Amino acid sequence: MAILKVNNLTKKFKKFTAVNDISFELKEGEILGLLGPNGAGKTTTIQMLLGVLTPTAGEVRYFGKNFIENREEILEQINFSSTYTDFPWTLTVRENLTFFSYLYDIKDRTQRIKKIVDSFKLNDLFNQQMQDLSAGQKTRVNLAKALINYPKVLLLDEPTSSLDPDVAKYVREFLFHERKQFQISIVLTSHNMAEVEEVCDRVIFIDKGKIIVDDTPENLTKTIEISHVELFVKDGLKRTVDYCQEKGLKYEIEGRYIVVDVKEKAIAEFLRGLMDKGVYYDEISIEKPTLEDYFLQMTKLK
Amino acid sequence: MYVFKHSINRMSDAFYWPTIDLLLWGLTVSYAKSLSPTSSQNVILMVVSGILLWLVVWRGQYEISVNLLEELWSRNLINMFVSPLKLSEWVISTVLLSFIKAFASVIFASFVAYGLYKVEIFSFGFYLIPFMILLFMTGWWVGFFVAGLIFRYGTRVEQFAWSMIYIIAPFSVIYYPLAILPSWAQKIAMFVPTSYIFEGAREVIYKGTVDPKKLLISFVLNSIYLILSLIFLKKSFDKTLEKGLVKVL
Repeated sequence: MAILKVNNLTKKFKKFTAVNDISFELKEGEILGLLGPNGAGKTTTIQMLLGVLTPTAGEVRYFGKNFIENREEILEQINFSSTYTDFPWTLTVRENLTFFSYLYDIKDRTQRIKKIVDSFKLNDLFNQQMQDLSAGQKTRVNLAKALINYPKVLLLDEPTSSLDPDVAKYVREFLFHERKQFQISIVLTSHNMAEVEEVCDRVIFIDKGKIIVDDTPENLTKTIEISHVELFVKDGLKRTVDYCQEKGLKYEIEGRYIVVDVKEKAIAEFLRGLMDKGVYYDEISIEKPTLEDYFLQMTKLK
Repeated sequence: MYVFKHSINRMSDAFYWPTIDLLLWGLTVSYAKSLSPTSSQNVILMVVSGILLWLVVWRGQYEISVNLLEELWSRNLINMFVSPLKLSEWVISTVLLSFIKAFASVIFASFVAYGLYKVEIFSFGFYLIPFMILLFMTGWWVGFFVAGLIFRYGTRVEQFAWSMIYIIAPFSVIYYPLAILPSWAQKIAMFVPTSYIFEGAREVIYKGTVDPKKLLISFVLNSIYLILSLIFLKKSFDKTLEKGLVKVL
């Protein structure tokens, strides 16, 4: 069942169309990634999904209900975390979470706060003011706030940016856990492609306000044929370069390491060709295409 | 209330500045009175009660405007409005908050006034109740008007949170009678609800009574302005949602 349904959503700012007639669904327990270059319309979309930006056209439906007509009822069941929001800096973590527990009318306030404080390892920071926290600690408080109301849908805009890798990993695991235990559906934007690949069941790629692709990360990476072949060339680096140029292959050299972009199907032929040229290498690694490669291809940065 | 508890700025706004006002004005008037011993005994009462009553208007407006600004400064506004909080609930909560804080300020300042000058604000008797209600109403509509401006134009108009109320101050005839104003200013004062309250307060001091018509006019004007300011606030909020709440900076 679609827990969130977006129909022909459009947002225009005067003559500029930020989001152009997009439609998609989010299933129960699904984690959906919104990807796209800066200015693609991801944040604009998230804001419309949160009701803090009025769409020019189209409709957002949560749980089968129109968002505009059932705003408060729906907002009780969803939540949000972003790097562009913060909390009153003189308030302690405890006071902020308590305040939001009142806003969301949480019945088991004390237990819920204790649970999320434990989950995000905020116990030591509980009585500290927000102004004394690091960026990463603030992000953890932000995520804790986002889970305070047992949300059925979570909208996360860059949720793990500014987190240390171990904390980011912990957050990802926590999201998996919450999804598994409570069937939370999640929409997230991230610039961390590895994270999106690891976490998301499905990815929507937005560019210039339009959905370009809507597919699983696996299927998207399959569309990239190029793999990166890295070799430590002991003898014949010049011959390897000549061979790459002869075959029209893209390469990068660092010391005696060379990374060559080769179509997955042509890797065997490429290595055989090097052997024929008498190239001797003693380290080889083949990197399969990642979502980042897909992203770079789509944004034409590569 | 959490912010208030932790903020020296907000504490000083509530208690420090009213005390300084009372000290400076009260001492100045006491000195002026000593130069002219024949002047009325009620001058100090008039000025000090003016300070105390104006405090209600100022605090009423300030709490609403600065409350919104603090949410903006701390980038918490989005967090609040992605919760089930309605604009009307925010309005009610700020009204209650401004009432509680202004009340605390006035009570504190009343004790200071009594301690320094033996001036009792409670000498207004039951008139104090309609006076307070009408002064709060003025503070609220100015506060909502400023909040509407902040929603529309963001923190670049934040100065209005401190200055807007003082636009009506000269026409409110806080410390002097209406007749002192030039005739053009008297015409403007007719549309300023607080002018009727401060004129009424002086009537109570000198005559022991107040013309109920003054209270009625003040109430009607305040009600009209309050409704208009709430409409303006709602329209500004809707306009902001068209641009995106995240753009209010």
